[in-house]
Amino acid sequence: MIRLMRCEFYKTRRRYLVLTALAITAVGLVWATYGDYDGPSGAFLLENGWMSFLYQLPLLNAIFYPLLSMVIASRLADVEHKGGALKQLCAMEEKGRLYDAKLLYGLAIVLLSVILGWAGLIVFGLFRGFGGTLPMGLYLLFLLFTLLPTIAVYLIQHTISLCVKNQAVAFFTGIIGTFAGLFSMFLPQFPLLRRCLPWGYYGTLQFVGLFGWTKETRYDQAYFAIMEMDWPFFCVLVIASVLLYLAGRWLFCRKEC
Amino acid sequence: MKELVKTQMLTKEYHGDVCVNNLNLCVAEGRIYGFLGPNGAGKSTTLKMLLGLTHPTRGEMDIFGKRFTPKTKKEILRNIGSLIESPSYYGHLTAQENLRIYQTMLDLPKQNIDEVLRIVRLDKQQHKRVSAYSLGMKQRLGLASALLSFPKLLILDEPTNGLDPAGIQEMRELIRSLPRQYGMTVVVSSHLLSEIDQMAEDVGIIANGNLKYQGPLHRLHEMDRTKTLEEIFLDLTGKDVSL
Repeated sequence: MIRLMRCEFYKTRRRYLVLTALAITAVGLVWATYGDYDGPSGAFLLENGWMSFLYQLPLLNAIFYPLLSMVIASRLADVEHKGGALKQLCAMEEKGRLYDAKLLYGLAIVLLSVILGWAGLIVFGLFRGFGGTLPMGLYLLFLLFTLLPTIAVYLIQHTISLCVKNQAVAFFTGIIGTFAGLFSMFLPQFPLLRRCLPWGYYGTLQFVGLFGWTKETRYDQAYFAIMEMDWPFFCVLVIASVLLYLAGRWLFCRKEC
Repeated sequence: MKELVKTQMLTKEYHGDVCVNNLNLCVAEGRIYGFLGPNGAGKSTTLKMLLGLTHPTRGEMDIFGKRFTPKTKKEILRNIGSLIESPSYYGHLTAQENLRIYQTMLDLPKQNIDEVLRIVRLDKQQHKRVSAYSLGMKQRLGLASALLSFPKLLILDEPTNGLDPAGIQEMRELIRSLPRQYGMTVVVSSHLLSEIDQMAEDVGIIANGNLKYQGPLHRLHEMDRTKTLEEIFLDLTGKDVSL
């Protein structure tokens, strides 16, 4: 498998894949850390900075990480489709192993970007002097709740990008999925909607809420609190990811080159 | 003579349409086997089945004396080089980088890259991006990747497609030299009779998925001395010579 992953590395020379991933992560990071820290609500945001991040970030993650997954999976598959290289590879190696190697390589780039983005936020918080100590346990949980939906989304993008030559299909699926996942977060009265879509799990697994905020009083009586964690649906997503992997691998192996 | 490839009743159907019908191919070791047939006769499908790219609906294949099964597939494929339909390449990489991928994948010595580039005469353009190559150069690169492991069996599907006359001549000479120089067995498909006539020692003629003739090329010449080879071919494939 290491050999096949090395091949994936060679294939992506001059494709600036890592640079693309870093650029998308950087934009996400800039957006996430943009806050009115010197304005009227600055004191509240600085005092509750750590919890504020945990409250706000699932929404941004639901935009940036599906986008990142879509771009990386598509670019990785496109190098094969463009030169008709899949038939040559399939005549040399088992299809299932080709699927796995590309998946691992792409996921490694995406997940490392997620981890880098997460670490960047912590560095920013420490640098900016957020109140209280860093709740590392909650942040690790948050990282887990970001990684898992990203894996599920990446699996979908990976399979579509590899099985369908026209990358517009993968892009269309990614964009529709991202929008659906994002809007499902604004419709808490329909919890099933976000639980049906892997893109909606950034919101499903959100565990920090903002309470007491009103237009009039704004942050005067506002506070962040930890909500009940959706462990049953966390398990559903784990199982769904395994099924997505098996189904994707089966579809790719079944596809004739 | 030892048979390197042997198929028994090999059949491929697509949604009920028979594309290859009960094919019994027999390729002898160290020979150039020309697989001839009109467009859509089932040549590419047959070659894809030999490479495990398409699953046969029925029938068996024995390659290197081993039954082709999911278990033996990888071991068999290690000794086969192929160029199917159009050449496969990564346009944003150079020829050397392209071959590096296959060399790493098959865990072959690095010097094989330089050697095959020299054989196909791309050694001087090896650092140029493949997207800037002409079709002939891409075709030669395709052949280089097929030769990379110096396989026992080389399967080439219409390798001269899209080449100019000089390119065809060059490719033909190259293919002809392979059994002699490297002890390879070559299966080469074409819809052009003249091409196979100048390259192959044995020939298989396929039409509508059925094998119409198989045997030495000279025997085909001797079948009916009153007719040209083209007429014999058209008789076998069921086409009117006047067309």
